[in-house]
Amino acid sequence: MDCSYFGSRLNLYVDGELGYLEVAELQGHLSFCPDCAAELARLSEVRGALAAWGEVELAPPPGFAERIAAAAAQEARPGQATVGRVVGGALEALDDALGRIPLPGGRTVPVKNVLGYGIAATAVIIQVERFLRRTRELKPL
Amino acid sequence: MPPSNFNKWATLPDPTPAELARAAAGDVEAFKTIVERYKGMVYSVAYNVLGNHTDAEDAAQEAFLRCYRKLPQYRSEAAFSTWLFRLALTASVDYQRRERRRPEPVEAPDIAGDEPELGDGISAAMLTAALRDLPDDYRVPTVLRDIYGLPYQEIADITARPLGTVKVMVHRGRASLRLRLQAERES
Repeated sequence: MDCSYFGSRLNLYVDGELGYLEVAELQGHLSFCPDCAAELARLSEVRGALAAWGEVELAPPPGFAERIAAAAAQEARPGQATVGRVVGGALEALDDALGRIPLPGGRTVPVKNVLGYGIAATAVIIQVERFLRRTRELKPL
Repeated sequence: MPPSNFNKWATLPDPTPAELARAAAGDVEAFKTIVERYKGMVYSVAYNVLGNHTDAEDAAQEAFLRCYRKLPQYRSEAAFSTWLFRLALTASVDYQRRERRRPEPVEAPDIAGDEPELGDGISAAMLTAALRDLPDDYRVPTVLRDIYGLPYQEIADITARPLGTVKVMVHRGRASLRLRLQAERES
């Protein structure tokens, strides 16, 4: 196999998409082929520069946040807030006020969820109890 | 799961539940506070996907408005910054697929901070110019893969392209970038 074969596999190599035997085969070739080794170095350099660029913060133009806030204000004209938005916001505020209960394993559960489940369970118990009482009352003598 | 090149953005503090609740209920001032905190991240994503300031601003605005509309559905299982980052990526790719990019003179983006270290002889201006010169079909998957570290399958999903096509485009994008940077260094 020649350099064109191994050259076509360098991208798969840096992406970690080659199998164990293919990696060993390519690394064997790289150890004695300076051209392919240099090609790999250039490819890695480009990828390194792109990865470093991904952490660079670019500054948006002046007034950017104000323009977005103005556009958002047009979407949320008074009286047009949806029921979902209002209810969702109220639940989140309740969540914020009540806090969360820690569970084993580092997880937490919102207190409002526990209260909600408790209210739902109580309602079910009341309905079952009513049903049973009515059944007893209707039982023929 | 956040993308691999997400360290910088993942350190941004999440809005408090109270801030999120106010913004989700339509409080524009509360939402503006969120925009101020994350505008650098969202604008950077849009600029890298689209390659020019005008389109980046439009796409970033669209990403924030999507965020505003979807805030009531946001659940705190994922960090807010991760959730918003995904919105910014998909809004920018959608924008690129929908709109024709505006021809703009190549100008280096305005970096918030010091000039970054990108490697031997590679400046920010060189890299952004080389990225901008790539055809959209190569640039977008290459940006998603090598700048933001997304898995190929996720790139295929976001760009609505077959997995094999996405891989070929990234490989060609890298090759093209390498040649352009090499030519720039030698000139």
